[in-house]
Amino acid sequence: MIAVLGLVVGVVAGLVVRPVVPMAVEPYLPIAVVAALDAVFGGLRAMLDGIFDDKVFVVSFLSNVVVAALIVFLGDKLGVGAQLSTGVVVVLGIRIFSNAAAIRRHVFRA
Amino acid sequence: MNDDNTPRRELPPERPPGPFPSTPPTPQSGDRDGEPGLTGRQRLAKAVWPPRVTRAQLIVALLLFVLGLGLAIQVRSTSENSALRGARQEDLVRILDELDDRTKRLEDEKRKLSGQRTELENSSDQAEEARKQTREKTAQLGVLAGTVAAEGPGIRMTINDRAGTTDSDTLLDAVQELRAAGAEAMQINGVRVVAGSYFTDSGGGVNVDGHRIDAPYRFEVIGKPADLEPALNIPGGVVQTLKNKQATVDVTRSEKITVDALRQPKRPDYARSSSR
Repeated sequence: MIAVLGLVVGVVAGLVVRPVVPMAVEPYLPIAVVAALDAVFGGLRAMLDGIFDDKVFVVSFLSNVVVAALIVFLGDKLGVGAQLSTGVVVVLGIRIFSNAAAIRRHVFRA
Repeated sequence: MNDDNTPRRELPPERPPGPFPSTPPTPQSGDRDGEPGLTGRQRLAKAVWPPRVTRAQLIVALLLFVLGLGLAIQVRSTSENSALRGARQEDLVRILDELDDRTKRLEDEKRKLSGQRTELENSSDQAEEARKQTREKTAQLGVLAGTVAAEGPGIRMTINDRAGTTDSDTLLDAVQELRAAGAEAMQINGVRVVAGSYFTDSGGGVNVDGHRIDAPYRFEVIGKPADLEPALNIPGGVVQTLKNKQATVDVTRSEKITVDALRQPKRPDYARSSSR
């Protein structure tokens, strides 16, 4: 419950406060958000499986974000930033879908 | 997103013990941990209600807060700003190139159009100038041809002739004398005298261009008064000759003489302008 509240508060804060993102971080924000979404879906699935562990969630969340940002950063440096970020988004999207499928099986039994 | 750097260092040691599929999506169906015997749906309901303040909940809440924040910022920045904000470097370079091209094209067009405008302005200026010169020339020629009224400094001469001795020759002499002295426009008793005017005797008076005039003869002459008056008064000149014939002559200078008698312009039957 508190976790859900945290998400809601975060969205509201982002909309109300309008924080200015530093230019250096800006290109990595979308990929990082997608990676974090992937971690959240994985965590939700683990919770439904009854194997949720907060330490694992924290580590996977942060590592996902950092690795995604790192890949985009590296891609930009190598000149293939657009392609690489597309690849990252595709991979994370597939994982989100598979996790979502597992969650759906738990919640709807179908 | 700013706390990315701190956990990166503690990443390697923490990773191995975490064998659970929050990141790696290995399909797991059975319950290995937690409370056995509960379905996923029950666990979800239990986690959501009643709210419990545990370390896990707080940490997850913090991370989800960060996620929500990032999500909101990203959504906001992509929706409120133009496409440029989220565009990549290559795209920006391409867009910039296109804009440069377009600017160049528009600059070219502008230069062409302003050249055209200058040309048009010049030509209309020239046309205006030509019209002005034509108007001035028309006025000058009109004064000479007697088709327009003229005014300026000059003299008035009145010849009073009771004896009737003044004939066309005398008047013609006076006119020639005035012309020689620089008269630019003149009229005698309301008849304009121009280059083609002729004088004939007719009974007691004189015919000027077919108009009969009688004494006293009043000349109105535009020209330089200081030249005109002495020209008439020279010894043996017009005034003396007339006085010898018992006529009285009165010459006065004036700063403003109006010659308003007009002559109809006569279109030449044979002569044509040879210019152009």
